[in-house]
Amino acid sequence: MSLVELVLTVVKILIVVMFFLNMAALSTWADRRQGAMVQDRVGPNRAVVPLPNMVARGLVLLPPALFGVLSIFTSLGEVTGRLALERTTVNVQLAIFVTWLSLLVLCAKVRSGGAINRAERVFEDVDPRSIFFAGLGVHALGLVAMRLVTPQGAPMAAKITGFVLGAIFLIVGFYATSRVPEGPIPLRLAGTLHALADSIKMIWKEDFVPKNGDKVLHGLAPILTVFSAVVVAAVLPFGNDICFADGNRNGTLDFSDLGNLVATVPATGQCAGFRVPLQIADLNVGILYVFAMTGTGIIGAAIAGWASDNKFALLGGLRAASQMVSYEVAMGLSLVGLFLVYSTVRMGEMSAWQGQHAWGIFVQPVGFFLFLAAVCAETKRVPFDQPEGESEIVAGYFLEYSGFKWGMFMTGEYIELVFSSALLVALFFGGYNLPFLHPDGLTVAFGDTVLFQYKMTHLAVSVISVIAFFGKTILVTWVQVFFRWTLPRFRYDQLMKLGWTKLLPLAIANMMVTAVIVVALRNAGPAAESWLKLLGDISQGLVAVLTLAGAVALVVGLLEPVERRKFLVTSSARFAAALGGVKPTTQEA
Amino acid sequence: MAKRTFGTNPWTKPGATSAPPTKVIARPRRTAEVQAYLPEFFRGMAVTMKHFFKNTKEMVLGQKPDPVIESLNDGVTTISYPEERRPYAERFRGLHRLTLRDDGSPRCVACLCCSTACPAQCIHIEAGEYEEGDPRRGYERYPKTFVIDELRCVFCGFCVEACPCDAIRMDTGMHATPYDSREQFIYRKDLLTEFTGRDGSRKTANPRHEPGDPTHPGLTREQGEH
Repeated sequence: MSLVELVLTVVKILIVVMFFLNMAALSTWADRRQGAMVQDRVGPNRAVVPLPNMVARGLVLLPPALFGVLSIFTSLGEVTGRLALERTTVNVQLAIFVTWLSLLVLCAKVRSGGAINRAERVFEDVDPRSIFFAGLGVHALGLVAMRLVTPQGAPMAAKITGFVLGAIFLIVGFYATSRVPEGPIPLRLAGTLHALADSIKMIWKEDFVPKNGDKVLHGLAPILTVFSAVVVAAVLPFGNDICFADGNRNGTLDFSDLGNLVATVPATGQCAGFRVPLQIADLNVGILYVFAMTGTGIIGAAIAGWASDNKFALLGGLRAASQMVSYEVAMGLSLVGLFLVYSTVRMGEMSAWQGQHAWGIFVQPVGFFLFLAAVCAETKRVPFDQPEGESEIVAGYFLEYSGFKWGMFMTGEYIELVFSSALLVALFFGGYNLPFLHPDGLTVAFGDTVLFQYKMTHLAVSVISVIAFFGKTILVTWVQVFFRWTLPRFRYDQLMKLGWTKLLPLAIANMMVTAVIVVALRNAGPAAESWLKLLGDISQGLVAVLTLAGAVALVVGLLEPVERRKFLVTSSARFAAALGGVKPTTQEA
Repeated sequence: MAKRTFGTNPWTKPGATSAPPTKVIARPRRTAEVQAYLPEFFRGMAVTMKHFFKNTKEMVLGQKPDPVIESLNDGVTTISYPEERRPYAERFRGLHRLTLRDDGSPRCVACLCCSTACPAQCIHIEAGEYEEGDPRRGYERYPKTFVIDELRCVFCGFCVEACPCDAIRMDTGMHATPYDSREQFIYRKDLLTEFTGRDGSRKTANPRHEPGDPTHPGLTREQGEH
């Protein structure tokens, strides 16, 4: 391994580990917040940092002012030809977006806090949805209006739109700053500071070791748990392969080549220069390494239960060990069908296959649900959290842990959760691929009929693929956290029966049926192949349409106004109504 | 099932001779849908997600229902104490206050009715005579000291009931602030006269008729000399 490869590997390790650790912390917060929102509570948000008023105003003013000045300065330079047209498009669309978003925020502010001047009073009766829909309409109009810009007029248009965009940014920034209320502003960051305060507390708490416990093993167990959770991330492909051209033509990848990113890559993804996979280690055993490493997670839980000198902890450790061993079998076998379809166990090739054909969830739906159940059981989260069943064995295997060691168990659990989501994404949700996004750009095609094509640079596609992978992982983590607030815990015998008598036979049946179908389709000839290609494209289209529909539904739902009935029956309600509602006041002694 | 008669039961209405109709709830069937778990799983996820999105949206956009006025609506109606507080009910018995006359002196005449009625024995009054020549001398006394131990008080309201002069009231709408020493819970006359009622006044709606006023209903010194 050359030095440049070593440096690249270290960078990749840093990206992945930072992502997993931060996501573990964030999912701790998301877990609490979801629980609160599902149960109609405010949730943990007690930790407050009072920002001095000037700092708060500065924080509000700085980003829009920076963007505004940047936009004006970049418009001062001369641009010509195609670049000028593109810049005009971006300027117009950004200006429209910033305008309707700011109007929306202002509308919400007026509705909740009241208008402060005559201009704001206009917004009192405006439906926020009409602003959103008008914004979408103006976006479309802006795209149509771009046809009017002639190539000769493009540099001038780019300049004017740049100035307009800068002015809009500055106006928005200054108006928002003027609306910051007087006095220190309490900063809560939606409760993330509460999670931060909790972790600080955890570090300073007493590290308790039971008197008759095994001191060495007691300290070793949390380390093993976190180790096995972090180390599995080595084989995750978190973006498509990056291609560097051999700039100095010496046949080896060196530091000067890192600046020569290839401009474009053909649709097949062939790379003429050096291919750098966005994956820490492209092992030939691939997914088997993941199974091996998650298997060692059992040891951490079992040792913790054993070393604690506590019968409840021991019971929890036993439960954890038996549960994880049982579900390891179902987890491995539920993926065999997937290996048959992909004809590989390498993670990178699996993701690439999904980009070219169809996502794993469409080719192996049964395997997906089996794997999902098994992976939930492996992470020991609700509904499979018997190892820490509070109602029966207090806290399970980490009962005798406190402070930072307990925090390590928790971190390990949440890293496992994030990792299992990343695994689900890599195996079943297309990895870093997005529908119709190929290495050469966007190509909407069903079968051989191409509906729409848009060429993109290699850099743009690579950045989008990395964002896609991490974004999908965050989304799946969010859904997995949701299981906890929806499903009740299984009984222990139900858990064992589910693993051995339901998941295992189903996984074996799925494997056999898949084998038969795969062999049948391979021998079916070219007609079947083109049909499969069409079906794969339809599945991609389905994903794209559903995602867009979900996004629009989310925004429309967000803008839906609420109507409430007031109940002024009690005297305290009448007092509150006279005060204009129960308003937050400054905290007294 | 043996038929029970209810005629002999003295707690039932006369004439109720037969058992009320029992509602038979069918045992849930183990259908394939239930056994497959997934349909119910998706239904459950839909319910929790609906709550999540609705409540998150209302928290972010500041549309959450008022915890007191709109408390019967759906949504997050918990109160973030102490930043948000539910106003106490109109007849809530809170901290005591000593009401004032028109001239600003306490209405209390140091009759010791409140301290006698107090079951917690938390009121201590030392009565004092008015100066010679004061028009009130001989009619009433005044409290030289008036002390209430708010930590001992059980907030029963007997002192308010016992007061013949409407001089002590518990309508401040406040509760005792948690201090860090017992000494701080001992409220003296100056502090008790500082408190106002819910309407912001230090007086009461009931007028007081001082001796010598034309409206004074009782005997005056002059009448006593006849």
